[in-house]
Amino acid sequence: MKLKNTIKKYRQKKGLTQEELAFKAGVSRQTIISIERYRYKPSLELGMKISMSLDINISILFYLE
Amino acid sequence: MALSKKEISILIEIVFSIVFAFIFFPYFYENLDNNLVFMDDLIGKIIEIVIFSVIYFSVTYSLLEFFKKTETKDERDDMINSKSYKLGYLLYEFSLFIFIGTLSSNFKNQELLNLTDVGIIFLIFILLTFISFVKSSYQLYLHRTS
Repeated sequence: MKLKNTIKKYRQKKGLTQEELAFKAGVSRQTIISIERYRYKPSLELGMKISMSLDINISILFYLE
Repeated sequence: MALSKKEISILIEIVFSIVFAFIFFPYFYENLDNNLVFMDDLIGKIIEIVIFSVIYFSVTYSLLEFFKKTETKDERDDMINSKSYKLGYLLYEFSLFIFIGTLSSNFKNQELLNLTDVGIIFLIFILLTFISFVKSSYQLYLHRTS
């Protein structure tokens, strides 16, 4: 099973750029790009920061497939 | 291909390893058969290496600071750094093991490898430069792919 996410979908819904989301979550834009492309698995702390930045429950944002 | 500030700073390190090897290795290679006391201008060469390194890194990092805006350091950078430094550490450990083994066999059998003290310094320089090059290349690879 692979950890996937819906960050791109909800980020675009909220009208945020990768740069803006990165700033809100306190990470670099490259990290957001890597997470959206499923290349990097974020820590629980970063996952929660992203979910708070997007106002989405973490269980909706991340799922196993 | 757009490179981030971190990737450019790693590229600067890689280029330094290559330039360092091209500029300074020939000097030690030419004096491979000499001992340090007979080497011409060794202190001058060491000062040259230090000055070259200081100027190279000052100029390149100043330009980088000027043209690229500051990036946040996060957990992904820590992960990449720990992976690449781990590889560098393993290579250092392995090469030191081989190097000490070579020196020991050199002491036992003088004809096996006739290393002068310049030869030893040259080998250490090659190891340090090669490992630094591999570590930085792996770091850049991880930045691009993970």
